[in-house]
Amino acid sequence: MNPIPISPEQSPLLFLELLYKLRVRDVMAGNLVTIRRDATMRDLQRLMQERRVSGVPVVEDKRLFGIVSIEDLIQALDTRRMNEPVSHFMASNVVTVEDDMPLSIVLSYFNKYEYRRFPVLNSRNEAVGIITARSINTRLLVELFRELARIENQYVIPLPENASCCFKTFRVMRSDFENAGKAATEIKNTLQKRGVDPKIIRRVAIAAYELEMNLVVHSDGGTLTFRADEGEIQIVAKDQGPGIADVDLAMQEGWTTANEWVKSLGFGAGMGLPNARRVSDEFHIASEPGAGTTVTVRDVLPPRNPAP
Amino acid sequence: MKLKDLLDTAQARILWCDTARENADVRHVVAADLMSDVLMMDLDHPLLLTSLVTDQALRTAHVVGAAAVLVANGKTPPPEMADLARELGLPLARTALPKFDAAVALGRALEK
Repeated sequence: MNPIPISPEQSPLLFLELLYKLRVRDVMAGNLVTIRRDATMRDLQRLMQERRVSGVPVVEDKRLFGIVSIEDLIQALDTRRMNEPVSHFMASNVVTVEDDMPLSIVLSYFNKYEYRRFPVLNSRNEAVGIITARSINTRLLVELFRELARIENQYVIPLPENASCCFKTFRVMRSDFENAGKAATEIKNTLQKRGVDPKIIRRVAIAAYELEMNLVVHSDGGTLTFRADEGEIQIVAKDQGPGIADVDLAMQEGWTTANEWVKSLGFGAGMGLPNARRVSDEFHIASEPGAGTTVTVRDVLPPRNPAP
Repeated sequence: MKLKDLLDTAQARILWCDTARENADVRHVVAADLMSDVLMMDLDHPLLLTSLVTDQALRTAHVVGAAAVLVANGKTPPPEMADLARELGLPLARTALPKFDAAVALGRALEK
């Protein structure tokens, strides 16, 4: 079995960049647990229990002599040879990696060899760490989080309040009733600060709220993007799924798939989409089962009177 | 009718309000537990009478520009709700009256 089912050849570019950027020393477990050749298998057993590791490099004076794993320990237990030295059981033909290798090469090692861990050597051939599927996964997750956060932040373009155009994307989570409505509240407050006609604010806020609640109640999570300039206000609700099988049916007043729990919170009456359409000058919905739904609503702003 | 006086007719106790909003003129009441219904109404600054004690009651009221939220049936809104009311600048009150009785009292007061 391939412990890390990722092949660099088929990765998105962004991910590929990560695989080349990250070096072995970035992803290895550095606090290396080692054992000497003359230690007994009993010593190894204790060490594995205490440090909760399943493979231990055999190291003396930073020099790597081999590796012993839990399988070797089981064999020693099985054949009652627990008092024999580790050197009798260790694999001395160890595949190692260098600490400045890019992660992409190490990933291919996991596919090429049966081993689940590779000791790491530095340029002076000293054992400095060990790399496992777990250490890679942990670091990759952290890096991916960081990368995603960076990309997400690019969506938010902070603009001064009196700018002619403002834009913001809100992330909306599935079933997050605690935060549901916050985006609509913020949109309403923003429009008030911009001095938009209260009647239009009301329409936009209602549309935003209906779409936000739809994301919370029905979607697997998505985004609500708000954009306002001198001429119009636009809200786009976009989710990653599950999609609507029959859009015409979903647009019918009173038709709903909401459960009782949602209804007990005062929602799921089957009025969300029709009401969002009612309060907008333009309404557009596109949906595909399995793909997701995008709803766009637009309200036109009347031309402002030129300043005297 | 002034919000404060209107709330009095339903024996309401105010949980959060400021002076300016106490004196706001209120002419409409929406009585609903289904927030979807509230979002369908086109009334100017209505008082929302509800027995729903969740943040969503306040958020819905805020979105439609309600004058206040009155919680009926003797329910006590959790403290977080009063915090949110303050944050949204939306008066919040409660009454021990059942929702129907509260609606009747408010309706009679507005008829005068």
